[in-house]
Amino acid sequence: MTARPVSGVQSSRGLTGLLLVAVPVLLFAWMTIWPILSGLARALTPEQADGSRPVSFANFVTFFSDPYSLANLGITLWTCLVTLGLLLAICIPLALYLRFAQGRLATYVQTMAMFPMFVPSIILAFAFIRVLGPNGTVDLLLNAVGLPKIRSPYLTPWGPVIGLVWDNIPLTVLILVSGLGAVSNQAVEAARDVGAKPLALFWHIILPRMWTSVAVVVSFTMLGLFASFTLPYVLGPASPEMMGPFMQRTFRDLRNPEMALTQATVTMLFCIAFGLFYVRAVARNRES
Amino acid sequence: MSNLSISNVSKLFSTTLAVDDFSLDVADGELVCLLGPSGSGKSTLLRMVGGFEIPSQGSIRIDGEEVVHLPPEERPTGMVFQSHALWTHMNVFNNLAFGLKLRRMPKAQIREKVEAVLELVGLGGYGTRAVTQLSGGQQQRVALARSLVLEPKILLLDEPFASLDQHLRERLREEVRDIQQRLKITTLFVTHGQDEALSMADRIVVMRDGKTEQIDRPDIVYREPQTPFVAGFIGTMNLIEGVVQNGVFSKAGYSTPVPVADGPATLAIRPEALELTVAGENAQGQVHRVTDYGTHGLVDLVLLDGTRIKAMVSHPDLFAAGQGVSLAPKAIAAYRDNVLIHRVALGKDTAALRQLVDA
Amino acid sequence: MADLVLAKPRTDWVGIGFAFILTVVIVVPMLVVVIWSVSNVWRFPSVLPQEFGFKFWQMTLARSDVWSALTMSLSLSAVVTGLSALICLPAAYAFARMEFPARTLLFFSFLAGQAFPKFGLLVAIAAIFLQLNLIATFWGVVLIQLVGTLLFMIWIPVAAFQAVDRRMEEAARDAGAKPLRVFWSITLPQAAPTIGAAVLLSFVGTFYETEGAWLIGAPQIRTMPVLMISFINNQPVIQYAAVLSVLLWVPSLIALVFTRRVVNSGSFARGFGA
Repeated sequence: MTARPVSGVQSSRGLTGLLLVAVPVLLFAWMTIWPILSGLARALTPEQADGSRPVSFANFVTFFSDPYSLANLGITLWTCLVTLGLLLAICIPLALYLRFAQGRLATYVQTMAMFPMFVPSIILAFAFIRVLGPNGTVDLLLNAVGLPKIRSPYLTPWGPVIGLVWDNIPLTVLILVSGLGAVSNQAVEAARDVGAKPLALFWHIILPRMWTSVAVVVSFTMLGLFASFTLPYVLGPASPEMMGPFMQRTFRDLRNPEMALTQATVTMLFCIAFGLFYVRAVARNRES
Repeated sequence: MSNLSISNVSKLFSTTLAVDDFSLDVADGELVCLLGPSGSGKSTLLRMVGGFEIPSQGSIRIDGEEVVHLPPEERPTGMVFQSHALWTHMNVFNNLAFGLKLRRMPKAQIREKVEAVLELVGLGGYGTRAVTQLSGGQQQRVALARSLVLEPKILLLDEPFASLDQHLRERLREEVRDIQQRLKITTLFVTHGQDEALSMADRIVVMRDGKTEQIDRPDIVYREPQTPFVAGFIGTMNLIEGVVQNGVFSKAGYSTPVPVADGPATLAIRPEALELTVAGENAQGQVHRVTDYGTHGLVDLVLLDGTRIKAMVSHPDLFAAGQGVSLAPKAIAAYRDNVLIHRVALGKDTAALRQLVDA
Repeated sequence: MADLVLAKPRTDWVGIGFAFILTVVIVVPMLVVVIWSVSNVWRFPSVLPQEFGFKFWQMTLARSDVWSALTMSLSLSAVVTGLSALICLPAAYAFARMEFPARTLLFFSFLAGQAFPKFGLLVAIAAIFLQLNLIATFWGVVLIQLVGTLLFMIWIPVAAFQAVDRRMEEAARDAGAKPLRVFWSITLPQAAPTIGAAVLLSFVGTFYETEGAWLIGAPQIRTMPVLMISFINNQPVIQYAAVLSVLLWVPSLIALVFTRRVVNSGSFARGFGA
């Protein structure tokens, strides 16, 4: 029997609840739902010379026929895929180690892996330049042992990739380790008991239970990368540029909000599947 | 001091009737146990007295005063929760002093009172401890003290010992009973443990599906259960479903005279009221297993159709598995349609009779 | 004796490998920044600075733009966090404890913002602010950063309020406390540690929020991260940015110390959909 709290008159209580949540809900609707809808509407109704705004796909036609815009979209997708690949390649082994290892060394590795969460990306960008930039620490050390300097990834497409991987390690590891929690020690021991070697263990026992968290990581990272601004802006090349800096420049420097909204709509459409999947995963976790 | 009067109270949770037309009067200083399986509505009833649930209908009076529409903070009741619900961000002293501070009692007086009540529950000097540092039994004592310090007219205990181990539970219930009798505080106690109810209560209310099955003194509830449910719920009871014909109850080869009208009936016999004798030819049952408990033995036997029956014997070594036995109940009760229709307590008279025959 | 040798655990080479690589990749860059901030002279190709000292700390702290950015960042974070707590905590309590129409729908509606890339959303908001003349104003930045805190400041406190044992509240009612007193004396103190962590994370998150401040606020509203971007891009003296980095890091270290328990708990990862 579930005990329910004593209360005053139920209907007045319902009203109180609604009133208490009204401000954040309305603020959220005004600052999230409304901008998305109105942005989409404005991108779909380009302003004509006479001031009228008929519905047309002209803005999107402009975007997709402009080689520079397409190059920017291309570099964004390339960055997403490379970053994602590197993240999974680094974080899956790390998460597996953290799930099954114990002791002080494992604690240290975990602390290290979580550390970037507490480094703001702007500090990371500066540190990146000082270490991997021209005449950075790597160059100093190579020079000291008489080796040639590296070709610095600073201001190349690899700059944002390295920065974003570094930045995303903690959350990726957290999500994967949490997902690996679904693999019980008994399941692993039972598999070893019947003679499974580490590789078979990973393939048949662990991997099948990791898919959900891998999918969450993929969506989460795709959303984050498409939305990234600071690291690409500071570390990336000026041309082609990722969608974040591109939108910012179109909006502020070119003073063309309509085209910026078109670019924003394109990024949102590219992410919609990941976004929906991610939101569903979060909501499901919250409900359970 | 105080009495509690519950009359015709019902509680409806959306579509389920948790408490159904319940009435009970608790006299001043009396400890009444609400006993029943989970889902029987006993906790809901207690929470209605405390003010945490509002009855769908009926009235609850304390010292003749209607309290149904008072919120919990205005009722002269004190509740002790199963999970003790101590405020973990306060130390023991502040847990006890909280209600007194709300009543704007002077500080010195609060200190004095809290210390006295802590002394009463055997936790003198524990005031500065954090409640999380206490053991389970100590936490439950603090919870009791927190209620007692406010001198409630009615003390409500909601399965207060359920989370404790058996040993501690037995000790605490003796302590609680002692304190209750010393303070002469009117108490309503919810439990699903029959031994708890039997050992503590002045009266027991056996509940089932929101309704009262029986209200009586513990010894009477045990010896004279009014319904087969009470018979089966309290203590161990053999319940045999059979048919009465011409004043004889019979079931799979076993029969015994029961002077009631013809029809189906449920026969109830306590294991300790069932005498067994080894029988050869016309055995009524067969011994399945014998368990020796040292002080007594328990014989599991099966009737011809497989019905299992337990009998308590003083000399278990007289019986062995596979033996045929015949049954001689010393006390039986018969029920039909959930109502007691016949009872024989053969008690002393039979013993005297048997002595005569033996002599 | 032989048993003892056998029982000795195998050397954890994988762990040592991870520890070594992570240390190099994660600690060294941070160390380089700190060294830069305390080097008076560090010219190529010396592996270490030629001269250590706090010269540039004095010079950085003497700059008026640093102080105004710090004041701006602190007041923005304080205003945003204060407003956020003011509107979110009562809402969180309502979500956790009250029944009202569309409760679940409204609760999960805060997730909608997560379904879109944040910078795209920011551009959409900026387009609206442009019409409302909120671009490059203090309150424009406050609004955009406030929205960023909503999800965090509602979801974490809701979990905190839900975790408070209802029997504790009932026991307080039983002891004679009115509902408001129960909230103040029992519910809030019980939920306080987690809510405190949420408030701290919201403050620190706002302090480091860069994209919104840059898009909406610049050039008039200049926060520490925005100043940092311009130092990286335009400031030839490396030490200024290095000192600023170390300064900028302080709130994060405080957050690291006080919220580690929350972050390490499984519920935090689940909050991200893990």
